[in-house]
Amino acid sequence: MLALAVASAAQAPPQHARVELLSRQEAASAGTDLELGVHFALDPGWHIYWVNPGDSGQPPVLKWQLPVGVTAGALEWPRPERMQPSAELADFGYHDDVLLPIALHTGKSTSPGSSIDISADARWLICREVCIPERAQLHLAVPVAATAKLNPQSAPMFARTEKLLPQPLPRGWKAWVQSGKEDFKLTLATGKTITAAQFFPLDPGQIDNPSPQKVHPTVTGFTMSLKKSDLLLKPITVLRGVLVVPGGAAYRIEAPVRQSVQ
Amino acid sequence: MNNFHRSVLRLLVMLALVASAFAVKIGDPAPGFTAVDSNGKQQRLSDYKGKFVVLEWHNQGCPYTKKHYESGNMQRLQKGWTAKGVVWLTVISSAPGTQGFVTPTQENDYLKTMNAAPTAVLMDPGGSLGHLYSAKTTPHMFVIDPNGTLVYQGAIDDHPTSDQGDIASSKNYVSTALQQAMSGKPVTDAATRPYGCSVKYRD
Repeated sequence: MLALAVASAAQAPPQHARVELLSRQEAASAGTDLELGVHFALDPGWHIYWVNPGDSGQPPVLKWQLPVGVTAGALEWPRPERMQPSAELADFGYHDDVLLPIALHTGKSTSPGSSIDISADARWLICREVCIPERAQLHLAVPVAATAKLNPQSAPMFARTEKLLPQPLPRGWKAWVQSGKEDFKLTLATGKTITAAQFFPLDPGQIDNPSPQKVHPTVTGFTMSLKKSDLLLKPITVLRGVLVVPGGAAYRIEAPVRQSVQ
Repeated sequence: MNNFHRSVLRLLVMLALVASAFAVKIGDPAPGFTAVDSNGKQQRLSDYKGKFVVLEWHNQGCPYTKKHYESGNMQRLQKGWTAKGVVWLTVISSAPGTQGFVTPTQENDYLKTMNAAPTAVLMDPGGSLGHLYSAKTTPHMFVIDPNGTLVYQGAIDDHPTSDQGDIASSKNYVSTALQQAMSGKPVTDAATRPYGCSVKYRD
């Protein structure tokens, strides 16, 4: 049956992405973190998804096999782009090329001359007009030396990616949310006016993704109206997400939500 | 196209836009509709007043739909619940030329091949029914109670993957909603994030 033949493609080599593990360091040193990344190079027009994929899709999932004494931190997600395939839905993800960094804690027991062998079972959904689940086994061995040393090939990509990673709000900036009947009003106070911004929700089912995000600049920043999701049945106490401001800087926010007095 | 046709078309477009602006909310009346099924028969939601109705957005090429059909999970749900008097309407909103678009004959062949057993399959290539319910993904599930009230919308289960191996350990939200609503209890997870492929609308 054709349908079954196509389904088994999930086990075949990836068709639309070249995926590899990269290390920022050419050599690791005992007791320091190793900066790894999962690099996706996508065929033109194809995309993968952010940690919150939005209304459709699924984020990449990695299962790590690490040497004893080595532990993995959390996968980091560069700011996504918004994709709107129809009036009904908006998705969040990446086109072309993306590096998802992850820190490995190497422990003190790794000794110079040995190597850290890393494997990961990577699964991701890749879409253009259609979606295909893809999967690959990734491997990387990083030698251990007395001192860590940058990898000249991959280090620039890590440096570029760092600029895309959401940062904590700068000192003195403040974000909060007023919950209305149909909308959340997100306020960002920075000290100077901001004319445009984009919000990417971290938790699904809180805001209506396809609705336009209306930004009203204020003297000290902006307020942004975010339509509530039909899926939101209970009040929330915090709105988590990523704010991208003009220039491309991205900030993580955890904005407390105040209920409007009816 | 003469002026009259043009203004009728404009009106229809406006109506479609107005319809899509309406929210489909838990506890509200489910929007009424008339649609043609894969046997050419008219299906009205109001025909099924007094019964539970399940709406299942479908795209036979989507890996998430395939997860539930190639495992037989969706067919088991269709057979199990229609045997208890539930009306199960599968909806195909894929536009012509997009993944999941099928002719009525192709769809009936598919139902036979897959041993699927919905009450009917609604052919919605223009997407108006999809827009009316703001259907986002395949699958995207809705449960309407005998009063015509929407009591569940969202995912089929709690494992948003395309992996058949996850089904056994999944909590099925549709079955849970039906069980709870049938025994007069409130539905605990009444709205969840649907997961799957985007519905392949024309616009």
